[in-house]
Amino acid sequence: MSGADPDLVRALGAIVGPRWVKIRDAERRTYEADGLPTHASVPMVAVLPGSKAEVIAIVRLLHERRVAWVARGAGTGLSGGALADAETVLIPLTRMNKILGIDPTARRAVIEPGVVNARLSEAAAPFGLGYAPDPSSQAACTIGGNVAENAGGPHCLKYGATTAHVVALEVVLPDGSLATLGCPQGEPWGPDLVGLFVGSEGMFGIALEITVRLEPVPAAVRTLLADFGSVRAATESVGAIIASGIVPAALELLDQACVRAVEASIYAAGYPTDAAAVLLVELDGTRAAVEAETMMVERFLTEAGARTIRSAETAEARARLWQGRKKAFGAMGRIAPDLVVQDAVVPRSALPDVLDTITEVGRRYDLTIANVFHAGDGNLHPNICYDHRDLALRERVHRASKEIMEACVAAGGSITGEHGVGADKMEYMPLIFDPTSLATMCAVRRAFDPAERANPRKVVPTRYCREWRPEPIR
Amino acid sequence: MSRLILDLLGAEFGVAVTRDPDGLPRVAPRTSDETAAALGLAHRHGWRVRVEGRGTWMPADAPADLVVTTTGLDRIGSIAPADLVATVQAGTPLRTLAAALAGHRTWLALDPPGSPDRSLGSVLATATAGPARHRFGPVRDHVLGTTVATADGRLVRAGGTVVKNVAGFDLTKLQIGGFGGFGIITEANVRLRAMPAARRTAVATGALDPLFHAAQAIVAAEVDAIVIELLSPMVTGSADWRLLVEIAGTEAGATSELARARDAAGDVALMPASGGALGVAAGQAFLEGPVSIRAGALPASLPDIADLVVEELGPGRMSLGPGRGGLRWSGTTSVERIRRLRGLLAHREIPVTLERAPWPIREGAGHFGELREGVAPLSARVRAVFDPTGVLVAPLEGRDG
Amino acid sequence: MADDSRGGFAALDPCVHCGFCLPACPTYLATGDEADSPRGRILLMRALERGELRADDPALGQHLDACLGCRGCEGACPSGVGYGRGLESARERITATVGLPAAARFVLGIFARRRWWRPAVTMARWFRETGLARRFRGPTRTGFLFGMLDATTPDRPEPTPRPPRARSAPRGTVALFRGCVMDGLFDHVHEATRRTLIVNGYTVVEVEGQVCCGALHDHAGDRAAARALARRNVAAFLGQADWIVVNSAGCGALLKDLGHLLGSPEAEALGRSVRDVTELLAAAGPVTGGPVELEACYDPPCHLQHAQRVHREPLAVLDAIPGLRLRQLPGADRCCGSAGIYGALHPEMSRAVLDEKVAAIAAASPPPDVVLTGNPGCLMQIGAGLGAADLPIPVAHPVELLDRSYRAAGWYDPASPS
Repeated sequence: MSGADPDLVRALGAIVGPRWVKIRDAERRTYEADGLPTHASVPMVAVLPGSKAEVIAIVRLLHERRVAWVARGAGTGLSGGALADAETVLIPLTRMNKILGIDPTARRAVIEPGVVNARLSEAAAPFGLGYAPDPSSQAACTIGGNVAENAGGPHCLKYGATTAHVVALEVVLPDGSLATLGCPQGEPWGPDLVGLFVGSEGMFGIALEITVRLEPVPAAVRTLLADFGSVRAATESVGAIIASGIVPAALELLDQACVRAVEASIYAAGYPTDAAAVLLVELDGTRAAVEAETMMVERFLTEAGARTIRSAETAEARARLWQGRKKAFGAMGRIAPDLVVQDAVVPRSALPDVLDTITEVGRRYDLTIANVFHAGDGNLHPNICYDHRDLALRERVHRASKEIMEACVAAGGSITGEHGVGADKMEYMPLIFDPTSLATMCAVRRAFDPAERANPRKVVPTRYCREWRPEPIR
Repeated sequence: MSRLILDLLGAEFGVAVTRDPDGLPRVAPRTSDETAAALGLAHRHGWRVRVEGRGTWMPADAPADLVVTTTGLDRIGSIAPADLVATVQAGTPLRTLAAALAGHRTWLALDPPGSPDRSLGSVLATATAGPARHRFGPVRDHVLGTTVATADGRLVRAGGTVVKNVAGFDLTKLQIGGFGGFGIITEANVRLRAMPAARRTAVATGALDPLFHAAQAIVAAEVDAIVIELLSPMVTGSADWRLLVEIAGTEAGATSELARARDAAGDVALMPASGGALGVAAGQAFLEGPVSIRAGALPASLPDIADLVVEELGPGRMSLGPGRGGLRWSGTTSVERIRRLRGLLAHREIPVTLERAPWPIREGAGHFGELREGVAPLSARVRAVFDPTGVLVAPLEGRDG
Repeated sequence: MADDSRGGFAALDPCVHCGFCLPACPTYLATGDEADSPRGRILLMRALERGELRADDPALGQHLDACLGCRGCEGACPSGVGYGRGLESARERITATVGLPAAARFVLGIFARRRWWRPAVTMARWFRETGLARRFRGPTRTGFLFGMLDATTPDRPEPTPRPPRARSAPRGTVALFRGCVMDGLFDHVHEATRRTLIVNGYTVVEVEGQVCCGALHDHAGDRAAARALARRNVAAFLGQADWIVVNSAGCGALLKDLGHLLGSPEAEALGRSVRDVTELLAAAGPVTGGPVELEACYDPPCHLQHAQRVHREPLAVLDAIPGLRLRQLPGADRCCGSAGIYGALHPEMSRAVLDEKVAAIAAASPPPDVVLTGNPGCLMQIGAGLGAADLPIPVAHPVELLDRSYRAAGWYDPASPS
């Protein structure tokens, strides 16, 4: 049983019903990790609210009792961000899964945070609309989680990440007070607190209702698959496409290790397994524009040395090409039992060199590193395969990870493009931010959560949060 | 006091200290560090600071002890055409930036109202986007990272130089449209676009209703336009409204999309026009009225809201975005009328932001007006992080009505 | 080998905790609770294997028991986790420690013993044929049971047709697996199976001494009973025909896996000769019959699509029916909540899972004339759900419709020329 105060458990049960308060060891254990099981922590209690009023009541109760808490979506995050420890209450929002309204004229939807990303697009499809951000976990992840992480996905190259699609939020702050941020049109209505809240990794409060922009489903879509004899040639073609002014809907690269894992899985997409890299290019828009851009892109690919180019037009053929990319991460389970997933971003022009460095690091530490990434925006996902039972191997993996991260930062990049910092990348934050900037982030967090009760000890290493505090208002 | 300020600043900055036309001490730091130092000094001495850009948008009339101008921050740090990103100091005029970018066949896809010599910082701090927001989104979508001098003299960096980045809290968002309440933007990393091979502009003239319906039809047809904007008669100095459609892309693509726009517009005749000139003229027209506001209205409600705005604020130049929504009005009005309009529109979930006005109106109405329940205390706490002692003269909420 | 000692638990190793299985799990969709998800259950099974949770831990038992065993998660898993194998081992270990729940023991006992099974079937048929089952069906627990029974009613009283003739080249001999529920309540499906196979060139033989397949026992963790039944079936079927044909997806899944269950070469060989009826029909074309003008919805049984990985064949069979307008509704690929004896043991969860499916059928436009699925449990579950919701839509096995198409062609007609 949990070490939770029985009185607290009773009070939580009074809010949501005892059935939705999980205190037994076996049940709490199932919440020990998100999509990155290298981090694990069993929560004191998991409590699953079923309505907005219940969420507010829980937050107020925990505020009164001075108990820390962590909000969680579907637990598909890749930063160890939605983990709670033995002193902390976990609040999974999966039951808050209602689409509250779709306004096809205004192209807006209002949803609860537990709505699964792909479900919203399905619900909007009859109106010819869709929700653009499409993280690879879209079939499972919740939009509340997407808001917390500012989730991206292949198509954010053209359409922008979650932050470009959220126009308004109703939030409960950690002290239990409510605030409505933004407006349906998207004008912030004061300082851009919606923009600040999106990507705050669950440390600013809980979004109770989320208003998002829906985009029309494009009239024409074409997916191209090119395969290359070298990774460098593939990345160089990416530079040529972007420099031409074409903004593909997506531009994705898988290297050989990754292609082989996918092809061995049930999501085999027919990628050539002897290629050093395959590049997926998706073009969308009007029929004429897609035709014209397809010709140009095919030329760039050929000039860069593509061995073959396949073109998928039917929805089914496109889905199959995409399937392999979207399930690539899961398919890594076939290579090795454990996986370190990185999420660094580098300037596009640095891609060829950084990838060479990654290969070199892999060789030096004798590790299998499979790359699958959003080439169009330089967002790398090197996956380092290992077995956690091998302690020496774990140490090598850790050192290699750090070296790769340092190489990406040295190239002018960022430590995370879409997964978030969470618990996993905290140690890298000082690589890209000075102590003053980190301390300011902590201070902004305290403006939302003075008691630091929401998702404690994530994103910014605690030592930076003690260095500077604002003086009181005069 | 002004003597003391001049002496202290002089000791720190040497030649950069002057007096403004009103006799206020005026400093033009050349680096982020100097900016932070000037603010740190003000913070320690309890001076009130007015921030100025190049003086072409917001009137330089706020009462203060010290003026910090960004005119000295006018360097373009780097342009990386392959990565489509530039690092630019905030005082750089847009015209200068555009010329430098053109040499690399890139552009910053912002076409804000006002003078082409507006500083980049002014556009960012006021989040004044122009018609190109139809395709390229609001100002916030163009900024990858900022360096900001806080009112107590710290330098805070947020974001970065890459297009996709979720490291740390997105503090940059606070600066965009923060109206100077969250520090001084000294430098920004902006997102560039490759220069399109071809641009085509077309204009239709007539009454608002038919033009609005034509615009809606063009939007519904998913015409790949960078601009779809309605301009009121006063903007162009004619008797009619104008519908401005601008397409960019390849030669063939632009031509075919323009044809599709024409088809969608039906009876409303879209005539070819010289590229961009109308947009630039329209942007400058918004300087003619002393007050500019923008209203966050959804597209379908725009004609209604336009009527209401004119009724409440008085006649003015207007620009309506039938794709993404939003309305800009510029003319002569009062604090009371702005407050009244805000009250009426708040019920329809439409915020009214004061973009530009003489000091008495800014001070009275505030850039945002009274914030909603729950938001006001939160906003005050966030602001205190960047300006703990109230050094920056930035009337965000105005006086209580 | 080390893996042998770990049994099915080793099949869980590829799980990287990505969560892609969540939306494929009917119980997770019903509760939103990680402990009711495949990923959560894998954590529980791993903890059980490592001894971090005891086999008699009530929470562990509760959440593993609540698994439908539909294996929908396996179809969604990019890493190829053998969830079903893991679950078998986990249930076996739990059963070895705490035994089966009394309710499960009782229900399974009926299936395993002819002397209990016969009277139960007789009584059930009496309720069905007197129309009492239809009269008493409804949304209550008892009403739902009557609804399940009523769903087994053949769609029309069957005239005795002339035995058909083959209209296709001879394709070999098949032995019909009769099963328990199928034999007791779905003999009309057996007849349709026999006739349609004959039309498509197969020779159908009857095999004496066959018994219940034991799938229900196996899923509940009673492997000993499952093995005992399996051994009797191996003895009965060995060397009797080229193929064993099964028209119940659940039985088919177990029988195809006989090798794994018993570990003998004979069982292995026999398992390889097992086919779903739609596989044999699809291999033969099947022969196109007469028109059946209906709006139909097809609902693939979990044990056909996930356990047997048979996807296209039922659709090929239905494609051979002129006039049939076939659709798959949203969520058709999700479990109906029947899952063997699951409905009897976890009525609440079972109904929560079913509700979504019934809602999709109720919302379908145009409304379907018939819902098709190839497993007795699913036929009864969906049929009862439709009855409880007062939707007058019958359920049927796909071969019944093909059979009707052949009847419409006049091939069973005494006057029909051959």
